[in-house]
Amino acid sequence: MSVVVVGAGPAGVRAVERLVEAGIRPVWIEESPDGGGRVFQKPPPGFSRDAKALYGADAARAQAIHDTVARLRAQVDWRPGTLVWNLRPGPRLLNTQGPDGTTQEVPYERVILCTGAMDRALPIPGWTKPGVTGLGAAQIALKAQGLAIGRRVALCGTGPLLLLLAWQLTKAGAPPALVLESAGWGQTLRAAPGLAWNPVGALRGLAWRAALRRKGVRIHAGALPLRVEGADSAQALLWRDAKGAEHRTEVDGVAIGYGLKPETQLADLAGVPFAFDTLQRLWLPERDRAGRTAVPGVYLAGDGASIGGSVVAELAGTRAALAVIEDAGQPVDPLETDMIHRRLWLEARFRAALERAFPYPAAHAAAMPDETLLCRCEAITAGDLRATDAPEVNRGKAFTRIGMGRCQGRVCGPAGAEVLAAARGCAVQDVGRLRGQMPVKPVVMA
Amino acid sequence: MNRALIIGGGLHGLSTALHLARMGGWRVTVLERRHVGRHSSGVNAGGVRRLGRDMREVGLSVIAAEMWANLPKIVGDDGGFRPFGQIKLAESDADLPKLEARAAATRLRGWTHEEIIGRDEVLRLLPAVSPHVRGAMIVRDDGSANPMRTVMAFRRAAMEAGVEIIEGIAVRGLARRPSGTLVVETDRGPMEAERVANCAGAWASGLAAGIGEYLPTTPKASMMIVTERLPFFCLPTVGSAARALSFKQSEVGTVVIGGGHQGANDLVAETSSQNLMNLAKAARIAAEIFPIVAKARIIRSWTGIEARTPDEVPVIGESLVMPGLFHSFGYSGHGFQLCPAAGAAVAELMARGSTNMPVAELSPARFQQQKAAA
Repeated sequence: MSVVVVGAGPAGVRAVERLVEAGIRPVWIEESPDGGGRVFQKPPPGFSRDAKALYGADAARAQAIHDTVARLRAQVDWRPGTLVWNLRPGPRLLNTQGPDGTTQEVPYERVILCTGAMDRALPIPGWTKPGVTGLGAAQIALKAQGLAIGRRVALCGTGPLLLLLAWQLTKAGAPPALVLESAGWGQTLRAAPGLAWNPVGALRGLAWRAALRRKGVRIHAGALPLRVEGADSAQALLWRDAKGAEHRTEVDGVAIGYGLKPETQLADLAGVPFAFDTLQRLWLPERDRAGRTAVPGVYLAGDGASIGGSVVAELAGTRAALAVIEDAGQPVDPLETDMIHRRLWLEARFRAALERAFPYPAAHAAAMPDETLLCRCEAITAGDLRATDAPEVNRGKAFTRIGMGRCQGRVCGPAGAEVLAAARGCAVQDVGRLRGQMPVKPVVMA
Repeated sequence: MNRALIIGGGLHGLSTALHLARMGGWRVTVLERRHVGRHSSGVNAGGVRRLGRDMREVGLSVIAAEMWANLPKIVGDDGGFRPFGQIKLAESDADLPKLEARAAATRLRGWTHEEIIGRDEVLRLLPAVSPHVRGAMIVRDDGSANPMRTVMAFRRAAMEAGVEIIEGIAVRGLARRPSGTLVVETDRGPMEAERVANCAGAWASGLAAGIGEYLPTTPKASMMIVTERLPFFCLPTVGSAARALSFKQSEVGTVVIGGGHQGANDLVAETSSQNLMNLAKAARIAAEIFPIVAKARIIRSWTGIEARTPDEVPVIGESLVMPGLFHSFGYSGHGFQLCPAAGAAVAELMARGSTNMPVAELSPARFQQQKAAA
């Protein structure tokens, strides 16, 4: 049976591990040079910070994932540095481009998509200036190469990643100058009972807060970034606190990221039906709890299907592999699947509470000033989009070119939908979602 | 007021509706199943080309070219039209005489827009072209436009002329009362009119079949790919005499590559998809002619569905089965440039029963004869 696993983050690693145990030798394709995913991003060869410094409390899990990748590579058809840029569900083919630029067709009977997630952007005036980056991107710079994005850094976001990055920067000797958490205390407290579904996770959040306070790093709850100022690069951040007062803080680096968004393009090209998730305020591919989709042979696992974090990704990766094995007619242990379902159920409760405690600041996105460069690839402002009479996002794209550039709406899509929905006076799901086109990322022509 | 129903909110439907409404005395309604410009009208390559057209449609195309030059006066916007020329390259010595013969045949009919140029002039106009080119045929004031912008301009102009556009309404069939009134069956019930235009693109042939009229078309899903933005190196739209290619650099620097390479289409699901082998072929031809794009990155590709007739020119004229019904479809991949003139011709046919526009050779009757002969 030809099985392909796309992605070598926590979900992909656990999926491949389980397939290999069942005697299957999958093709394993990873876009970056090595496994681990963004969450357990490895430094490039020659860097020597130890796992504890890089991954903190998750060091043991990171080490386990890296060791598993190293062990599995020889037992599979391992293809690192390779982009899957198209999926054709009819003939069951993937199109890839390898590190040397050569394109290939990879057939599959079953494919597990573990495509991971990316920063969820919130465009504000000035967000395209040098010195401004994504929250996740800032964390990767720190994890991969020990880089802080500036000497006086502002972090703008919400939820665990914001706190974690603030703490990691502080530990690394570069405490952030400003931390803006969009969620207010009220929101967080109301969600507190739900957060108790994962006491360890919840307590870890509290511990980061306390540790940051001890180091003199203050977190402004209910605060939002308004504008990045500076001639050629970021020099100051204009922001608004929970009471509505505006402040100006001098900074030379700004990281903005309001949670993560799944990389769902391959699932979209596969023809997997999508449904609007009101908690994440995103269109997500539909799958059963084992990761099966309505499209024969296509399975989903990890943050690429729905944001759940690395623990969920590992469980979902194993579960999707079990589904593949089961669907191929081999026996699986019902106790094992049952145990995974229970753990996934518990994690889902915690995740729902997290989403309620730290929601995407949709109203702030919808109200972005007209001059905000909403689509940075094509230089389309929020005002350009508002000026159309487009009733849904695909026509917004056709009329203005928003989402037609290099990122194909991966960056500007969610915020753009909020802007358009507010302009039309409808719910964000009523402006629909962008039709996907291959290639999912740019590919070299010849 | 006479009533007219236009089936299909693509460019040809909108243009027909606009011209008919401007004649006065007509209440015109466009019936569009999805939204205006949903299929090939909104996503085609945007070629505004007389160059190399089938002789049966050159006359209409020449009139259309004048209308494109005056588009702001007709629809209040230029549709992004850039008259930077259309060039068909001779890539070998064998190609040149073919192009020369073609240009001579066009001149013989009294049209002078096609011009043969030598290698030096090609290199002057296209500094980035591969040195293997030998010469070319050019129409200097052809060019390209922005399809969706053009659709929206015609839509706006039609509405200002009093046309009602209903989106999200599906036409199920056609009938004719003994009184001569036509009935369009829709999913919202029957609608009546004195005149009906069938501008339903890839689905028009099926509508005709529903009343027993044989107007064969096959669906077509031409593919386009677009690269990331490159430095400006090419103003005209470029094709090749011997190979399928349509190549242009847009006003933002992206390179749009097409040429009729076909993807797959699904008329029932109203979708089309790319065929990668064909797409790779288009990319390879483009890179051979313009080496500068060889390492460029493709950021998007797309297709749009339309209809191709067996003889590759459109069907324009009154139905032979149902008087009062007028067909305008089967533009076979080159209907974008024709839309201002074709709409005017169909509107005249609908209002007056005749037109001086050169569409006689495009009449549906040719398939009747074909069917009789078979």
